[in-house]
Amino acid sequence: MRETPGPPTSLRLSAAAEPAAWRRRPFRDNPLQVLLVIFALVAVLAGMMTLLYRSSRLAPDFLSEFVLYSLSIVDLTMLVGLVFFLARSVIKMLVERKRGLPFARYRAKLVLALLGMTIIPAVLVLFAGSQLIFNSVDRWFNAPMDEILESSQRIASDYYSDRQRQVSGETARLARALGAMDLAAADLRPIRDALSEPVTAQRLTLVEVFRAVPGLDGTPQAVPVVDVAAASAGAARASSGRLAARAAGGEPDSWAREPLENGGELLRAAAVVRKGDGTAAGVVVGSVELTGDMALRARRMTKAYESYSQLRALKRPLTGVYLSFFLMVTLMILVSATWMGLYLAKRITRPVGLLAAAAREIGAGHFDHRVERETADEFGSLVDAFNSMADELATNRRRLEQSSIDLERKHAEVEERRRFTEAVLDRVATGVVTIDPEGRVTTVNPAAARLLGLGADAVGRPAAAVFAAPDLQPLAALAAGAYVPGREWPAQEIALTREGREVQLALAATPLHGEGGRAPEGRVLVVDDITPLIRAQKVAAWREVARRLAHEIKNPLTPIQLCAQRLQRQFASSSDQVRAVVDECTGTIVGEVEALKTLVDEFSQFARMPAPTRVPTDVHQLLSSTLALYDGLFQHVRLETLFAVSVPPVRLDPDQIRRVVINLVDNAIEAVGQRGLVVVETRHDPALGVVRIIVADDGPGIAPEDRDKLFMPYYSTKKRGSGLGLAIVRRIIAEHGGTVDVGPNEPRGTRFVIDLPCGDADTGAPRETP
Amino acid sequence: MMRVRLLALVLGAFVLEAGGQRGVDVGAVARDGRVYVSAKLTGDVLSGLEDAIQAGLTATITYEAELRHPVSVWFDSTIASARVAASVQHDTLTRRYQISRTVDGRVDDSRVSGDRADVARFVTGFDRLPLFSTADLDPNEEYYVRVRVRTRPSTTWFFWPWGRDAASGVARFTFIP
Repeated sequence: MRETPGPPTSLRLSAAAEPAAWRRRPFRDNPLQVLLVIFALVAVLAGMMTLLYRSSRLAPDFLSEFVLYSLSIVDLTMLVGLVFFLARSVIKMLVERKRGLPFARYRAKLVLALLGMTIIPAVLVLFAGSQLIFNSVDRWFNAPMDEILESSQRIASDYYSDRQRQVSGETARLARALGAMDLAAADLRPIRDALSEPVTAQRLTLVEVFRAVPGLDGTPQAVPVVDVAAASAGAARASSGRLAARAAGGEPDSWAREPLENGGELLRAAAVVRKGDGTAAGVVVGSVELTGDMALRARRMTKAYESYSQLRALKRPLTGVYLSFFLMVTLMILVSATWMGLYLAKRITRPVGLLAAAAREIGAGHFDHRVERETADEFGSLVDAFNSMADELATNRRRLEQSSIDLERKHAEVEERRRFTEAVLDRVATGVVTIDPEGRVTTVNPAAARLLGLGADAVGRPAAAVFAAPDLQPLAALAAGAYVPGREWPAQEIALTREGREVQLALAATPLHGEGGRAPEGRVLVVDDITPLIRAQKVAAWREVARRLAHEIKNPLTPIQLCAQRLQRQFASSSDQVRAVVDECTGTIVGEVEALKTLVDEFSQFARMPAPTRVPTDVHQLLSSTLALYDGLFQHVRLETLFAVSVPPVRLDPDQIRRVVINLVDNAIEAVGQRGLVVVETRHDPALGVVRIIVADDGPGIAPEDRDKLFMPYYSTKKRGSGLGLAIVRRIIAEHGGTVDVGPNEPRGTRFVIDLPCGDADTGAPRETP
Repeated sequence: MMRVRLLALVLGAFVLEAGGQRGVDVGAVARDGRVYVSAKLTGDVLSGLEDAIQAGLTATITYEAELRHPVSVWFDSTIASARVAASVQHDTLTRRYQISRTVDGRVDDSRVSGDRADVARFVTGFDRLPLFSTADLDPNEEYYVRVRVRTRPSTTWFFWPWGRDAASGVARFTFIP
């Protein structure tokens, strides 16, 4: 059952399920996903660039903690990913090379080349950039800058310290002065007067007095008593109570800074007012106002110093941030290059590999194998072209298969015809020899080989060499004769001697024409053995001669005999001398006439031999009865029988066969000169279906050239004989459907063999009796 | 020097910062139903933070204290944990330090000091803080308190999220009620 030609399965599936296949594609083969990832990476990179750009405005600890942490994690992840990626790729390439997969070496070279092209410059840039970052960071924190900022900060700090010492000193002085006063007195004028002097002298901006009272929990509490303020003093006095409480609580270093609404600052110091016995009576809080400009400048100087110092303190983490970013970019390049190398290698080698595998599949006979088109680029076109080629191959293959089937069928027919022709040629009695246009013998059938005496080596040899024997020259002439279109070669008859027998052959040559009447492709020589035909013709001729002789001669014999007898009677009374002459002459005439009558009778018998009346006959019995006639006739002739154990009955005419046997035995006895051995033998050949009668003698034998003529009428080797005996024998045997042949006897003599068809099945192997 | 730093950069992710093996003297005493823990950093812990503190950055030294029970054939079990964080911020203008200490997020102490030695003592340890209760302890069993110290801000080249303790120490005791 043959498959119905149709589109290949893979093509049908790929066309129907293309969206699903597109979704199932690996990441590297999905351009949309690749573009999205590249876009995301670029976005991350842009974000990192923005972050770095604004890094100067970010808190240093944020940079050193969060940003550095994030970058470090990203770097570590990418480093691990790169190592994993490279290790996986290397292992995969080694495995592929070991397994001998196609394009493994090419892929490895491509990846290594891309890696080499990117790693070397990337690492160089990394080192150079790192060096640049180190140098830049070191340059940020140089000695002059340190000196300037530190000096500025020291100036501001010293100013604050001076003012603080001034406030503290003045406050302590007031506390000592108030030690002698009663802070709980109703008249506060002395206290106010004492406080007014430093305010008036602008050494202090604000002076506040608190009375110390024990709180519920035992800790001293500060209760405001009086305050004196300069005109410029603001209203910010909130922190003074807490400061006074701290001082009353025994805190040694009690001072504070309080920002004002006008941008300035209030430096405050607290001093405990102690009585004469050393107990705390209250707290004096002295404040001095720093103007806005001064405070602002001091703060700016401090801020600048702090920023600078913070950057310097976080120099290593900040450097690490930049280096991490740089490393991240480098790793990103390396990962991208590695991935891109693998991607390109895959993208290039995969379709080629698929095509190679498909070519192997098609080479293995799988003509329905197709390659699925994965891309729309040149490789896709190549895949399309390959699939088209595969379609053509499949179609041609199917045609070839059909043609092959047709050819096989035709070949089988031709082979059958050839076998039939060979069988016919092998079995036909006509010899056939074919000769090619170059004059070489191409075919010799067994009949030709037998008739022409050719060996098996005749095929393939030039006809001129095969037919080089003198008696085969007519064949050589026919084989070499020029061909004239429309003219046949004339038939010829030749006589050959084969195994001592003359064979008459009829030769005919026919050109072999190709299809469409093209030039002859050789010629065919047909050889027919016409020897039996010639013999039959001769016998028929002789029979006619015999019939006429018998008719023409027999008629006058009786008047001649009667006349001779009349003469003898007429001269019976004559003288003795006359009578003696007449008797002698008439006796001779009568004797010769009798001889002529006998001869004429034989001729007549030969010419008018009746058809045999065949009845089933026991051959052995027939032979025994016939041979019994010779008992005692020839004393010096030993007549022996060698009969087979059993022979089937043969349908024959007993009288005619008896005559045949007598004729042969008479010839044998005459051949041995009435002194020798004559053997009559029988055999049964079940394979041929014949009963064989052999009459052999040990006489002088017959020359080979005479053997075939023995059966011709009027041919005799004896001095006296009509020459019709063996001719009659042959005719009788022929009319019984058998054959008679003559050959040499071993060790000497002549051997006549008669084969009579018995027409029954195989009855067993012959068994001879001595 | 630059090459060394560069090498440290390349291999930085795998290299611990030098000096990370400073120790902590830890003391633990179980008394009155509480486990009092003392810790004192040994070595120059503040050297790495000195510049940051002087620059006005808030420096924090965090003590992760764990009360653990040793297990012979398995990991030791953690019974309780507490976090003590000591922070210091320097006012560069007034040259005074704002120091504070929290225990599990609760402010334990806060003050201003102009004495660097006082500040150093404050942030480099704590003394007899009742961090754990003895309610979950078995009598006559051996326990130990492990204290791990971390500092911030980080002053390393790379931020290494694992095993960046500045110091650690252990104190063993037998709980006798």
